[in-house]
Amino acid sequence: MAIKCPMARIEKIMLKDVPTLKKEAKLGEAARLMAQRESGCVVIVENEKPIGIITEFDFVRNAVSRGDTLKEPVSRVMKSPVTSMAPSMKLDEALKVIDTKRFRRYPVVENEKLVGLVTKKDIVNAISDNLRLHRNIQNIVLVLFVLFEFFVFVVYRYVQQYVPFGA
Amino acid sequence: MIKIRSIMTKDVVTIKPDSGIMEAAKLMASRSVSSLVVVDKEKPVAILSENDFIKGVISKKANVRDVMSRKFIVISPSARFSEISKAMREKKIKRFPVVENGKLMGLVTETDIVQATRDFTRFHQIVQEVILAVFGLATAFFLFYFSPIGASVFG
Repeated sequence: MAIKCPMARIEKIMLKDVPTLKKEAKLGEAARLMAQRESGCVVIVENEKPIGIITEFDFVRNAVSRGDTLKEPVSRVMKSPVTSMAPSMKLDEALKVIDTKRFRRYPVVENEKLVGLVTKKDIVNAISDNLRLHRNIQNIVLVLFVLFEFFVFVVYRYVQQYVPFGA
Repeated sequence: MIKIRSIMTKDVVTIKPDSGIMEAAKLMASRSVSSLVVVDKEKPVAILSENDFIKGVISKKANVRDVMSRKFIVISPSARFSEISKAMREKKIKRFPVVENGKLMGLVTETDIVQATRDFTRFHQIVQEVILAVFGLATAFFLFYFSPIGASVFG
């Protein structure tokens, strides 16, 4: 039951400008980045390869359980390893990953390098838009089909008067 | 038509404007929510998100009142899903307290909207396949009925 969207791939919808930090960076820097940017997370990279991720929720939980930790390195809080996606991945494949992994944010990696970030929201919205377009096209095709059938029916009745075949 | 009532989170975690932000963070962590509704006399006055909390920690603010954001839209439980889906995309508003008769009934967050869109998409795919199947069968029957073979069968 796959809806085919040949045009839609991860690279079209991903966020290209991802906030990143090295693993030696302090948690305070991560907090500042998250406050400035709306991405909701910071990806921790080593030689441009994502090795971990810190989300706003991780930060809140850490602040609650361990108090003021703004001077600690991000590597103590980050979630590792991360599930990443490829920029050439199709949206319905991405949806399968989302349904099994249940994360909200996925770094996009090409040749072991971070090239973007994609969220569940972006993928679901893109698929919903594609589906809407798909549905409209399909409805038009169906209407044309019905008109055609009706036309064939009329022609058949007309022809039948003169050429009584099948009897 | 999906109504807000069916997708909203009914168990809303609320906090008062003069509570401390660490108290708010504790609530968020223990209840696993990404935002709290700030209420004053049972009326939602603002939203406190994880992001607001982080901003508060950086700027060393102590009270919810100093970091909460007033950028939210109150909706009714009988509103349609498509209305807020549009507001979310165009105005970049992520959270919608649901209010009926002046009382806070629930909260619709981005996660709820994304999940509803996801389920809606799945439902639509199924409906679409069924319509196609019915049309396919009808067409096959139609062609058969009016073909010479069909005519000999149906008389």
